[in-house]
Amino acid sequence: MKLVWKLLQQHISPGQLIGFFFANLFGMMIVLLSIQFYRDVVPLFNGKDSFIKEDFIIINKKVSGGVLGSVGNNSFSPADIHDVEHQPFIKDGKAGVFTTNNYDVTGTFGMKGGDFNFSTEMFFESVPNGFVDVDQRQWHFDPRTKTVPIILPKVYINLYNFGFAQSRNMPKISEDLMNMIELGVKINGQGKEDHFNGHIVGFSTRLNTILVPEDFMKWSNQMYGNGEQKDPSKLILKVANPTDSHIVQYLQKKNYETDEDKLEAGKTTYFLRMITGIVLVIGLIISVLSFYILMLSIYLLVQKNTTKLENLLLIGYSPHRVCLPYQYLTLGLNAIVLFGAFGLVCWERNYYMNVVEVLFPKMVAPNLFITFLFGLGIFVCVSLIDCIAIRKKVYSIWIHKS
Amino acid sequence: MNKIYLQQTLPNVFLERKDIHSDVWKQEVIFEKGHVYLVEADSGTGKSSLCSYIYGYRTDYKGKIFFDDRDTRELSIADWVETREHSFSILFQELRLFSELSALENIEIKNNLTNFKTHDEIIAMFEQFGIGDKLSQKCGKLSFGQQQRVAFIRSLCQPFDFVFLDEPISHLDENNSLIMGEMLMDEVKRQGAGVICTSIGKHIELDYEKVFTL
Repeated sequence: MKLVWKLLQQHISPGQLIGFFFANLFGMMIVLLSIQFYRDVVPLFNGKDSFIKEDFIIINKKVSGGVLGSVGNNSFSPADIHDVEHQPFIKDGKAGVFTTNNYDVTGTFGMKGGDFNFSTEMFFESVPNGFVDVDQRQWHFDPRTKTVPIILPKVYINLYNFGFAQSRNMPKISEDLMNMIELGVKINGQGKEDHFNGHIVGFSTRLNTILVPEDFMKWSNQMYGNGEQKDPSKLILKVANPTDSHIVQYLQKKNYETDEDKLEAGKTTYFLRMITGIVLVIGLIISVLSFYILMLSIYLLVQKNTTKLENLLLIGYSPHRVCLPYQYLTLGLNAIVLFGAFGLVCWERNYYMNVVEVLFPKMVAPNLFITFLFGLGIFVCVSLIDCIAIRKKVYSIWIHKS
Repeated sequence: MNKIYLQQTLPNVFLERKDIHSDVWKQEVIFEKGHVYLVEADSGTGKSSLCSYIYGYRTDYKGKIFFDDRDTRELSIADWVETREHSFSILFQELRLFSELSALENIEIKNNLTNFKTHDEIIAMFEQFGIGDKLSQKCGKLSFGQQQRVAFIRSLCQPFDFVFLDEPISHLDENNSLIMGEMLMDEVKRQGAGVICTSIGKHIELDYEKVFTL
């Protein structure tokens, strides 16, 4: 083997191999880095509001006309809903309707063990379960327990922390401490009055409403409601792509509106995904090109060493044995590239993760395993193609010979 | 392998020719293990072609060639590799040495396949040929006669049923030809092999049992 290698390494061009090495190293690094970066950073934009996925949008009719007397004008008729559901940008062809309560609700907020509280009149809304991304076991109402799961707008916690708590020298609470809040719910309707415990499941930045489970809404409207059926004033839609310009055009045409900010996370994720995709493709292209450099280099090498290869085959070497030195060479190079690129990715990741950790201290960083697997996948594919190509080339010498 | 059987074999380039008077082409020829043959030929009568057909690196012929009862056209690459490792040895007319490797390395690269000869045996053969001082010399720097001797030593460094020698002494003097004859017959007797030697006039002195004119 040593002698065969000594013989076949003639004409190896270090320049070509170095060129391949760096091209492939950078290609592989870009591919792996874009995958890792995507895995690291995208959850930061998705993860913050886990109750409503980024591909949902909430629309309502613009409140217009006179100051008074516009009641009912801004609700969606069944025909409106039917029309929305048949738009091409809607996924699954269903619009979620916001159902409101038909009775009076009073909420009492306080801290556990604290001697203060405040009450306010409030309202509930619900959407079909499929539109709320919460564990369905938590998002469920059982009349026997008298506990109502509730999702509150993030604004409320800010109102409490920076308004109420500030002015009364109360402790500020974080989202993690939301269980500390006692929320009493009093419902009046049909001559009945009942008390429930509110269980705050979480805070949402995307919902400007007090959300309760659909089954609670049905049950309570039946128990306490006045039986009046109102058309919904808000719809929640699942769209294929929140940045689709058709959505904006449709909303403008129909005089509907959606809070632009609500689309921001979706847009950011979308663009991030797109840019990562582009970078990934560029990395792959560089990798493919570098792969061609290697192939050309090896082909050239085989071509220059044809006579030697031929003689080796004639004195009894099998094509398989003759291939081995070149196959080991490519395998070795590819392996160095894989580990080199992975090392560089770890190093670069360290750099940006410092920034990410400062901005999002609570973040749990995904590990590098998937990225390494991906790199390994590329390594295996490329090496396999290399080995097959070398084999074919050497066999072609055998065939031509005869 | 015990015999090589040529059945109506004829190089494609001779297909047009009507005046073929040959003991080999378009004949039934059998080479048997343990016998010594000479194929005499004028230039251009297809001597090297014969070697390349039997050795399997050219197939531009009509007719058939059998190893025992196997048609050589049906042999796989693995079969040919096995044949070249264990059944056939050849001294090419063009030698096919590696000029970048030293004389000894040229032998080793062949001997490594089967480890047929020990290092000492190889050195002894060099000594016998009077080129013991050329072991580490690059083959490209040796004279053709010296290279011919190195290539000959290489052809002995494997087990074989038949050995082909294509004009083995074209560049050797009388004395070296005799040494080569002795070394060859020693090895052939040891292995019980057959010898097929070609020549265009000057041929190595052996006890030929049959002479073919190509």
